[in-house]
Amino acid sequence: MARVLIVDDEVRILTALRRSLRREGWEILTAESPAEALRMIDDAPVDVVLSDYKMPGMSGLEMLAEIGRRSPRTVKLLITGWAEAVSEAELVEVGVSALIPKPWDDKLLKRILRGHLGAG
Amino acid sequence: MFQNGNGTAGRGDTFEALSRIGADVAFERVSSVADCVERASREEVDLVVVDRGGPCIHAEVLAALAAESPPVVVVVAVDDDEDDALDAFRCGAADCVRAAHDYAEVLPVVALEQIRRWRQLRERRAAHRRIDWLERYNDNIIQSINSALVVVNRDGRITFANPTAGHILGCRAGDLGDRPVADWFTGGDDGPALITRTLEEGVRFKGAETMITLADGTLTPIGISCTPLLDESGEILGAVAIFQDLSEIKQLQRQVLQQEKMASIGQLAAGVAHEINNPMGFIHANLYQMSEYLQDMEGWFGAVDGLQRAAEAGDAEAVSAASQRLAEIAREIDVDYVRADFKKAVRESQEGSERIRHIVKDLREFSHQGSSERMLADVNQCVDSTANIVWTMMKHSVILEKEYADLPEISCYPMQLKQVFMNLLVNAYQAIEERQAEGDREPGVIRIVSSQRSGGVLVSISDTGIGIAETDLQRIFDPFFTTKEVGTGTGLGLSTSYGIVKRHGGTMNVASEIDRGSTFDVWLPFKPPDDMPPG
Repeated sequence: MARVLIVDDEVRILTALRRSLRREGWEILTAESPAEALRMIDDAPVDVVLSDYKMPGMSGLEMLAEIGRRSPRTVKLLITGWAEAVSEAELVEVGVSALIPKPWDDKLLKRILRGHLGAG
Repeated sequence: MFQNGNGTAGRGDTFEALSRIGADVAFERVSSVADCVERASREEVDLVVVDRGGPCIHAEVLAALAAESPPVVVVVAVDDDEDDALDAFRCGAADCVRAAHDYAEVLPVVALEQIRRWRQLRERRAAHRRIDWLERYNDNIIQSINSALVVVNRDGRITFANPTAGHILGCRAGDLGDRPVADWFTGGDDGPALITRTLEEGVRFKGAETMITLADGTLTPIGISCTPLLDESGEILGAVAIFQDLSEIKQLQRQVLQQEKMASIGQLAAGVAHEINNPMGFIHANLYQMSEYLQDMEGWFGAVDGLQRAAEAGDAEAVSAASQRLAEIAREIDVDYVRADFKKAVRESQEGSERIRHIVKDLREFSHQGSSERMLADVNQCVDSTANIVWTMMKHSVILEKEYADLPEISCYPMQLKQVFMNLLVNAYQAIEERQAEGDREPGVIRIVSSQRSGGVLVSISDTGIGIAETDLQRIFDPFFTTKEVGTGTGLGLSTSYGIVKRHGGTMNVASEIDRGSTFDVWLPFKPPDDMPPG
């Protein structure tokens, strides 16, 4: 079963995303901070990380860069309401596959994830 | 210069006689009228001597010489007619010498005297030309300078005005003569016009700012320097005023200040947008999910209806089939989960909308209380509503601590005080962010403390940011001073804040230590000045 890790310091966002993806047949993991997410990655690799941008301690982009070093095959997605705060160059450098705006479109989000994971 | 006429007779040699003058005068001999006139027009020639040419020749020479030519001394032969000498004077000769026995002594004296007079005359002419040139030069400057220049007499009437003065005063410079300067320099609430004070008290002003009133009643800001005109005894004769129209500069200043305000507001707006965006995000997703749940439930409700109809009809077989269908659907859609999660989604969305409502309430509190009204206001409320808004942009990296004492309301411009607090809080946040950018992962702390101190209200805003270098500390309230990256700050935030606090009769102080953080103290008196300007 494909494993998806969602990282956001807003727990309500984590719940809403988990709710959206419930029927996709993937294992959904959540972390409330970059530090927690990195620990989880070290425990067991995931196929996709979907991360918020602005978080305490470390930005989502910095965390994704670190994940890229620790687990090069993990697909990295950024979901943010501050799309303008992130430059194209940074996204390319870190190897982010898609930037999803917040509030997100459920169908678009699922389509992107399915594209990387295949259904179920 | 020496014109040796034809057919002259007489004793002595004129050239030799003139040579006795000395080495500082050189003579040259020419033998035709044309040559003589040509040579006399040269700069270095100081004297023309026509030597015994007879009435025709000296008349011809004198007529041919230009008006400003050097003087001509005519030498007449001793046996010539007396009238010849008279005639020479009539034709314009400067002097006439008869070639008599003492001629060798007389001629050098006469020649020298003429040369001396001529040189004096030439110097005077040159001096006049220089004066004329200087006058034109000064006049050109006065006429063309970009500053207005007005001279007034003791009665305050204009005796001179340049075109720029006419331009600023809305009148042709030529029409300003004798007009009372008080027509424009009316003075105001802050006393008589500066130029009046210069006339009456002899006070000098340099680079003062004031307003003039134009004929149509509009006020124009000007920068003015006034100097009294004094006679030898120190008595005031009048005054000279030089002034510039500051309308454009004032307009630019307002624009820059507005940009500064907009820069802070832009940052705030981004923070607030982000803060609203999060709950919006999950409310949006939850609504979508709830509509999916409802779609699932449609089938379940349909099955419930079917069961009810079967029960009402009393058809036991149909009831059994319907209840089986209901159970199938319930399994299919996981009805227990859907019911529970639907409730949860509603609850979470309500909480999200409550958060948005709260942010909007903070925004309204921040912006309420008229934009420029002076009123009694609670400084705690000013700083708190500002902090609540500013905090939305910094909640990820900053812990905000508040400690408010009971404060009496003070008369102030609340919106302006909020602008001060906003500047200080945004600066504190940026100082913490810079420290974090250098690798510090600890959240920063901003601490707001209010208290009553020495007949006023003291609000201290401290941060644990990067601090301010000692060399920068004395300049941070200067306009346009900034250490922030280009595009981040205009360098006007603190100078504007300082201006606002000062207008409120208060003081603003800073203490800072590199890598430890800064504390800004804003003190506002309980009783601010009555004539506190709105800004």
